[in-house]
Amino acid sequence: MEIYLDYNAGAPLRPEVREALMNFLSGEGANPSSVHRSGQRARRILEQARGQVGALIEAAAKNVVFTSGGTEANNLAIFGALRAQAGRRKVISSLIEHSSIINPLKAAEREGFNVKWLAPDHDGRIDIEQAIAALDENTALVTMALANSETGVIQDLAPLAAAAREVGALMHIDAAQALGRMRLSVKRLECDLMTLSGHKIGALAGIGALYVRDERRLCPLMFGGPQERGIRPGTQNLPGALSMGVAAEVLAKNLTNEINYVTFLAERLRSRLWNSVPGIKLNGPLFGRIPNTLNCVFPGVRGETMLLALDLEGVRVSMGSACAAGSIEPSHVLLAMGRSESEALSSLRLSLGPQLTVEQVDQAARIIVHVWRRLACVDTSHSGAWQ
Amino acid sequence: MNERVVVAMSGGVDSSVAAALLRESGYDVIGLAMRLVASDVHSNGAASHKRCCSYEDFEDARRVAELMDFPFYVIDMRAEFDANVVTPFVRSYLAGRTPNPCVACNQFIKFDELLSRARALEANYVATGHYARIVRDHAGRYHLMCARDAQKDQSYFLFMLKQEQLCRILFPLGEWTKDEVRRKARALGLVNADKPESQQICFVVGTTYDEFVARRAAPHEIKPGRIVDSSGTVLGTHSGIHRFTVGQRRGLGVAAGEPVYVREIRPESGDVVVARREQLADRGFTACNVSLTGAFDPWPSPRTFKVKIRYRHPALSATVELLGRERAIVRFFEACTAVTPGQACVFYQNDEVVGGGIIETPLRE
Repeated sequence: MEIYLDYNAGAPLRPEVREALMNFLSGEGANPSSVHRSGQRARRILEQARGQVGALIEAAAKNVVFTSGGTEANNLAIFGALRAQAGRRKVISSLIEHSSIINPLKAAEREGFNVKWLAPDHDGRIDIEQAIAALDENTALVTMALANSETGVIQDLAPLAAAAREVGALMHIDAAQALGRMRLSVKRLECDLMTLSGHKIGALAGIGALYVRDERRLCPLMFGGPQERGIRPGTQNLPGALSMGVAAEVLAKNLTNEINYVTFLAERLRSRLWNSVPGIKLNGPLFGRIPNTLNCVFPGVRGETMLLALDLEGVRVSMGSACAAGSIEPSHVLLAMGRSESEALSSLRLSLGPQLTVEQVDQAARIIVHVWRRLACVDTSHSGAWQ
Repeated sequence: MNERVVVAMSGGVDSSVAAALLRESGYDVIGLAMRLVASDVHSNGAASHKRCCSYEDFEDARRVAELMDFPFYVIDMRAEFDANVVTPFVRSYLAGRTPNPCVACNQFIKFDELLSRARALEANYVATGHYARIVRDHAGRYHLMCARDAQKDQSYFLFMLKQEQLCRILFPLGEWTKDEVRRKARALGLVNADKPESQQICFVVGTTYDEFVARRAAPHEIKPGRIVDSSGTVLGTHSGIHRFTVGQRRGLGVAAGEPVYVREIRPESGDVVVARREQLADRGFTACNVSLTGAFDPWPSPRTFKVKIRYRHPALSATVELLGRERAIVRFFEACTAVTPGQACVFYQNDEVVGGGIIETPLRE
């Protein structure tokens, strides 16, 4: 049996999405920019998807720009905003962002921009007052994730967005991990830019979107045709957009139920683990997280070994971030939160989603406890056993 | 359930065929590649040229695992490798010795750390692509033997294995020749069937040993000094003892009229002593870190073995006297040239490895 607890890395395709894709793939292929009626039908699919994605975050369709995914959306937001905010040289962000925020900002630093890297507290929360205090007339952009991909911790970004607007800075929110895990509204958050990702909500990988409140304040990074209002030229990924639209539509109808169900599953898993694994700790606070994410320190074991052992038992979890070759680095997020290297290396991220059943979660809990007991026992006698 | 074995996979043809053979004979195989060094990334974000533990090597191993249908993972051993292999390698060169990092890697990484990780994954065995054999006798003792392919035999690098490890190790290539391995790889359609051999020390890529050592050392640890002959005459100076190996002829930078070789490196003074070839002969040496496989009981008085003092050297007849505290004295029947401190010495009885150690000090009198 396979039990997939890695929804934050990529959620399995939703059944509704699969069905829509099957229909689409057996139909005609056409370019949504073409004038003829086949092209018009393709454009209809694209624009419908745009509306569906926008509706999930209370945005108008015209403010949704499709990209190849979250990473491109983040790069477009960062460099597009910096180029549009001529003269302003400062960016405010944090040490716990996704690599697709951190590495563009490091590149911007090499181009002479000044990045203020805010540190989180022990629970992984950014001090928003401190972020607001760092804003000034020289600030071009504030860029932060709403929900952290590793810990699920939610930042209170609405006041920061309001304060950024007052000094004329753009507010970019990376909502790749928050989408579908909490109710989202660009109206309530009052942000200028928001990153969305398809495969985190059960659509295809290779599709994402950037919400752009005012396209006059964003320079394109690529140049080509008029697609996506020239902000992101290139023939659109139609099956990708379709899949993201359908996933967004399903979520919009069902968000409260889905969040409640996943919360129930995650709490069930958490209570079972907490009852059977003495010393287990949550990385992050109990409240103020997206409910599907449990990032836990499993005492006395090497997380890497536990991840492999769980995989061999059919339970898919993750840890830190994988390098190109596939080996695991200790999580920069956990280290920034003040976890020791050994705690970070003993931590696993379990992330749940709507396609899991109660039986699977119970079975996963049994396997995790079993494997932890075995490894904790092996590791205490480590290196003496065979000598 | 089938017995589970963890195969250490480098992405090369040997470990790939080893894994494939075990899979074919019904083992529950798990492939593990070890990330041993940090890969270089330039400050502008572009990846640097290929080196060991590279993405391509791991990808080759991954493709073999996919083809043969067994799980494969890359595990992080950088900290362990740096502490147990690279750092001692550098320290050893700085102290005027010539280390053998493959021995340290086998001892601390493959057959200690990896063995314990394998156990955590409920594996009964660790397997590698080494060319060597392990034979279990009627009394239940495990014997470490040379490979059938004498050209490829790697038993020299494995002398430190003891009974507790030998009973948990499989060397599927022990009965195979390199040609047969390549043929098998081609027959299976493995992507790396014709991949060239790795010859160098895996973590010193794109540079020389002395540059690598100099880069890892603090400036005050570099020991420059004089080049002298055995009578004490100064022939020149040098920029660091880590650049020399006993027996070395090239690159000495002295004109002595006739070919001279490094006879001795004196780390205290920084002197490098050179001599003519016929003056290099040693009667024997003391060895430290001596380890026996345990296939035989320790012998109370000097006993005769064939002893190898370098990987690509013929074994020489010598007596080995065990001194306790993991030390021994080895005395050759006939004098031997260029005994090199830091290299492994391995004791053979016929084609069996009985044990070995690290060469400490040559016997000169």
